Amino acid sequence: MKFSRGKASDEIPTASMADIAFLLIVYFMLTSTFAATRGLDFALPEDQKDTPLVDKEESVLIEIQPGGQLIVDGNPMRLDGVLDYLKPKLERNPMKPVIIRPDQNAEYGYMVAVFDELRQASEKIGLEVKNVSIPTQREIDMFWY
Amino acid sequence: MKLRSRNIQNQGIPTASMADIAFLLIIFFMLTINFEVDKTQVGLPKTDLRFEIPKRSAFISVTRQGQIRVSAGDEISVPVPGPEEVLSFAASVVASDPTKAFVLKADKDVPYQYVDRVIDALKQAQADVIYLLSEQATVEGG
Repeated sequence: MKFSRGKASDEIPTASMADIAFLLIVYFMLTSTFAATRGLDFALPEDQKDTPLVDKEESVLIEIQPGGQLIVDGNPMRLDGVLDYLKPKLERNPMKPVIIRPDQNAEYGYMVAVFDELRQASEKIGLEVKNVSIPTQREIDMFWY
Repeated sequence: MKLRSRNIQNQGIPTASMADIAFLLIIFFMLTINFEVDKTQVGLPKTDLRFEIPKRSAFISVTRQGQIRVSAGDEISVPVPGPEEVLSFAASVVASDPTKAFVLKADKDVPYQYVDRVIDALKQAQADVIYLLSEQATVEGG
């Protein structure tokens, strides 16, 4: 009678390691997405009691109409002209308050576009718009009228 | 004397390093990927300036129709009936972590009144900072 001698391998079998690893890669790729993780930051006043009241007459008022038309201090203006309008005012007063007031029916995207433009002031005109406020309708009702 | 060298070539493709490459890819994915807590489909506004949003920020999404979903950052977002509930949500988030950042993921075409109420709720809840989620308007660095 003949017995076969089973010869055990000395090595750890790693042939399926790559399969497992690629399965994990596929899992990560399917369960997660490269989400949009960037945006414009917008700091809110820390304490409402300490929030300085901005006088309408002393500030630059940017109104945004539905459709994206801008009215700056009562005058229609294009978005690319806003910073040029602000430049002499900021040279006189670097803390010049700028108020963005979108119409309640204006599209949100236009407000973001205006805010984005103001944040780029240091690159475009060499001056920073330090004092930007976007009052909410409740604040306008409470403090402006 | 004549010697004949015998060249025996291995016919298999060497796959020993395959696992190493795959695990490197896994580590890359694990480090770079953020699990999206809010999968609401919105058309984001485009901006030139964009800053990195802190991880685990609270999310508030507003669709074009004004529907609002919220997430404290660790769980999948849930719908809320209106902006009034955003205030109670934001207040609870701020109470647990006063420095928590909020991300406003609103559709660019939504009427501003919906966003206005959300921002107002965040102001009342004394939120520290809001990030207005956006897409890149131009090629980065260009």
